[in-house]
Amino acid sequence: MVDIAPHAHQPVADGPRGKRPKPLFSLRNIVVYGTLLLVSAYYLVPLYVMIVTSLKTMEEVRLGNVFSFPRDITFAPWVKAWAEACTGLNCDGLSRGFANSVWILVPSVLLSIIVASVNGYALANWKFKGADIFFTILIFGAFIPYQVMLYPVVIVLRELGVYGTRTGLVIVHTIFGMPILTLLFRNYFTSVPEEIFKAARVDGAGFWTIFLKIMMPMSLPIFVVAVILQVTGIWNDFLFGVVYTKPDTYPMTVQLNNIVNSVQGTKEYNVNMAATILTGLVPLVVYFISGKLFVRGIAAGAVKG
Amino acid sequence: MGTSISVRDLVLSFGSVQVLKKLNLEVADGEFIVLLGSSGCGKSTLLNCIAGLLDITDGQIWIKEKNVTWAEPKDRGIGMVFQSYALYPQMTVRGNLSFGLKNQRLPKAEIDKRIARAADVLQIEALLDRKPGALSGGQRQRVAIGRALVRDVDVFLFDEPLSNLDAKLRADLRVELKRLHNQLENTMIYVTHDQVEAMTLADRIAIMRGGQIMQFASPKEIYSRPANRYVADFIGSPAMNFVEGTVADGAFTCAGHSIPLDGYEFTPTGRAGGPAWFGIRPEHIQTGEQAEAMPFRTEVEVDLCEPMGAETQVWASFADMQFRFLVDFALDLKRGDKVSVGFDPARASLFHKGNEERM
Amino acid sequence: MADTTSSLSGTGSVPQTRDRTERRVLLSLVLAFVTWLIQAVGVGPVLNLLGQAVALGIENLFGWVHIRIPVLSAYQSLLDTATETLGFLRYLPWAALALAALFVGLLFRQGDGFRWAGNRLARKSVGWIVAAALLLLAMALSSLIDDYGKVGKVVAGFATRNGAFLAAFCLVAALALAVIGSSGILVTRAGALERVLVGNVTAKVAALPMILVAMGIFFGGTIWTIAYSFTNSKLLPKEHFVGFDQYARLWGEPRWMVSIENLAIYGVLSLIFQLVIGFLLAVLLDQKIRFENTFRTILLYPFALSFIVTGLVWQWILNPDFGVQHIVRSIGFESFVFDPIYDASIVIYGVLLAALWQGTGLVMCLMLAGLRGIDEDIWKAARIDGIPAWKTYLMIIVPMMRPVFITTLVIIAAGIVKVYDLIVAQTSGGPGIASEVPAKYVYDKMFLGQNLGQGFAASTMMLLSVLIVLIPWAYLEFGGKKRG
Repeated sequence: MVDIAPHAHQPVADGPRGKRPKPLFSLRNIVVYGTLLLVSAYYLVPLYVMIVTSLKTMEEVRLGNVFSFPRDITFAPWVKAWAEACTGLNCDGLSRGFANSVWILVPSVLLSIIVASVNGYALANWKFKGADIFFTILIFGAFIPYQVMLYPVVIVLRELGVYGTRTGLVIVHTIFGMPILTLLFRNYFTSVPEEIFKAARVDGAGFWTIFLKIMMPMSLPIFVVAVILQVTGIWNDFLFGVVYTKPDTYPMTVQLNNIVNSVQGTKEYNVNMAATILTGLVPLVVYFISGKLFVRGIAAGAVKG
Repeated sequence: MGTSISVRDLVLSFGSVQVLKKLNLEVADGEFIVLLGSSGCGKSTLLNCIAGLLDITDGQIWIKEKNVTWAEPKDRGIGMVFQSYALYPQMTVRGNLSFGLKNQRLPKAEIDKRIARAADVLQIEALLDRKPGALSGGQRQRVAIGRALVRDVDVFLFDEPLSNLDAKLRADLRVELKRLHNQLENTMIYVTHDQVEAMTLADRIAIMRGGQIMQFASPKEIYSRPANRYVADFIGSPAMNFVEGTVADGAFTCAGHSIPLDGYEFTPTGRAGGPAWFGIRPEHIQTGEQAEAMPFRTEVEVDLCEPMGAETQVWASFADMQFRFLVDFALDLKRGDKVSVGFDPARASLFHKGNEERM
Repeated sequence: MADTTSSLSGTGSVPQTRDRTERRVLLSLVLAFVTWLIQAVGVGPVLNLLGQAVALGIENLFGWVHIRIPVLSAYQSLLDTATETLGFLRYLPWAALALAALFVGLLFRQGDGFRWAGNRLARKSVGWIVAAALLLLAMALSSLIDDYGKVGKVVAGFATRNGAFLAAFCLVAALALAVIGSSGILVTRAGALERVLVGNVTAKVAALPMILVAMGIFFGGTIWTIAYSFTNSKLLPKEHFVGFDQYARLWGEPRWMVSIENLAIYGVLSLIFQLVIGFLLAVLLDQKIRFENTFRTILLYPFALSFIVTGLVWQWILNPDFGVQHIVRSIGFESFVFDPIYDASIVIYGVLLAALWQGTGLVMCLMLAGLRGIDEDIWKAARIDGIPAWKTYLMIIVPMMRPVFITTLVIIAAGIVKVYDLIVAQTSGGPGIASEVPAKYVYDKMFLGQNLGQGFAASTMMLLSVLIVLIPWAYLEFGGKKRG
């Protein structure tokens, strides 16, 4: 038998006590933080180069190297990139592309999210025969190279009479945003406890009532994730823009590429970098504001894909 | 018999939150200790501190007369079993058991010997070449215990090892654990929130709350002489009845009743009396003829009956407080019936109204 | 006791003969719709092209041992006779519809009379009638709608060609529903027709965009492109079958070969580096470090930028006259050469540098999510076993993360095949054709070179390469679950 008589507490003795001592500059810390700082520098250099180049005058760009800090800061390249830079015959700068991109972005994001959320909801909660087959094809569509579908879509848009217009591009973004968004919403709605859905049906709510009154208010975060995903995705798109629009209706990315890579005239590197920053600004702002939700969006969109 | 584990003035804080508050614990060699408490009381945290998986803020931990406060988990001479089993999924059972040993660079013959012994003790010889994915929950937990066993250590730590199993399996494995302890005679520290597990397994139970140990004593002591109101309320099912009143001149008085306290063992501070809680377990209240023999008797009116199978739990009011007691299932009581009840105040517990300590 | 239960369930369900008739109605309706679709949307030519390609493929299957199976000519003559003698097939949709109507009549006879009042499915039936009326209306007003812009023209054209048939289709469906709805027998269990036409109809309508896109664009579009890769389409798609000529020409093109070579180098290296670097970075971030959020924000921000921005920035940084080469030379290494923009032999590595900058953050994030998903008790167990951290990662954590690795691999691989914008922005495929990739080849042939056939053939090759990655993965991921 063991001894169960109460022991008196023993006093704290000499020797190790409390926190294990950890040197601030242990080898492990040096390796971990050193590597991370080095990698961070590699990641930040391009952003730095973009900014400093865009603030230099052309003379200084030609003299110095890309990393040097500007001696006299000038905002003229920014103004020129926004309002004066030429692509082909248009010389009103990136402002035209910006306007086009916004014109395309807003309806595309709204439309694709509305369609995909309803689809995802129908797939998750109102399963019908054959739904899985269509869904599988849809998901395969996310991986198939778009090049295979480029021309058939041209034909469809031409038949609808919207080839080369911004409306056509909105339709294209809605179509090609569907797989990943439907997946996102379907997975989310599947994770909602089925009892809530059943209770609503017992209370006599139908397809649309349940969606609008119960599911949508519950799933605000996933809608935000979808918006982030679509805003960055559509803003950054180049391929669809260049295939389905014309110079007048080019989105910002296409116009940027045409400005920078145009072969005519002397290269104005400072204007080019200013234009590049301007184009990257919208997704960067979305990224820095959304923080964790952005990560969640790409993780949800990717891991479960 | 010597001390196996000694926790001295242990403090653990995360930022400004103190999770463990100057905690002391002495465990004798070969003892089976259960840390019991509701979730968030710090019992698993304490276990992780002993294992060295959490860095403590202040205090010391001694295992086998050695100060291990700064020692790595592997150097503390412990084995640990987790709630989620934590088996390495891509290795066979044999691989799981031998991985740590290979890492210690033990000779192969020694490793094989230890695995054979552990497999024999736990009866998992047939499973050695399977992977954890192909095992049932109970088998997985045996393998997890085996992984601690092959380390050939003096102290075993269990972190809610049976919580993921169903009720039947849990009862079976509980018995096996007890048998294992009798066979190995190691020191074991076992964390659980299940008081039945605690009562059946432990040599001593440490009941924890808010990062402190409320009482550390044998199961019998904890059941019959709880150190404070929290322990009294926490242990026992159905829970203890409490009545508010005053202790004076060897009797407890409350709304119209006076209970003589002959035979009650007062603590040194308790004899002075004062405002108090009077606690009596439902199973210590007798009814009918047996009540006649009790030092204290009264008559109460039945409020509600809850048949529970072998017994029926009856709710009644006494001194304006709801309380319950158990009667034989054959006794057919209805709301409004008058029942005479009685109990022996010597089996009751009294607690100071202010600090809720035992009187 | 047993008797009553069986008879109870008997009264509730549809009698077998009726159920069979219902299935026949349904089958005829489906047949009518599919045959109509084949004629209306031009599936015929596409199927014909695919058929010829398959026949040609079989014919040359044993070409390497000089055995030719004359399948193609047989196919051609079969098709010719078929179109000649089976010309009446174009009335097949109408015939199937008439058959469906006939079966509805049979259904009516098998029931117990017709009631409109108290008809369970009256409302649904009226819905189909309204649809038919709208179609007829559109047909009647087609000349009017025609003037309302391009969309109006499309609607009007569609209505004139197909309005009559679709209206008839809707009417037959309405009739079928009204008949089965008037039957009192079907109380507890809906028959085949009702299940398909009525059950869950809102959900089906709501999912219509998905079905249309999945079938029409993703499935239909892919098949269309494959089919037209066997034609000699130039500026516009033509249905002139040329067999595998486009593919033969494709593999003879130096530019395509360079594209494939570049894709292979770029693909293999970016797969390896992204996985390794991404995983290592995730491990570093998983060390309970300070400023984890800051580091993660820095490592992931390039992923928010477009490939165009990425390509242009790196084009500038790697510029030999101002960028890295210039700087290293100016600090004293006069002979330092690093010019992955204008040096054809290393240009693809310059692209790789930019791609890693843009994409590794994503891999890191996925890996970090995977690491965080691992049961913390595993780590505790390993520490108690005394296994060093690096060994725990290598021997325990990496094998446990296999699904994450595979998924990440598939995502990166699918992205690699699509790579286009980055090349366009950073190098425009140059110098010369040194950094061409298949996606750019497709675009250039389709939209700049007026050589659609080449574009279709090249994009079909791209599809093939993706399927080689995708199908084994889908099998592992989804086929495996069914077995488990």
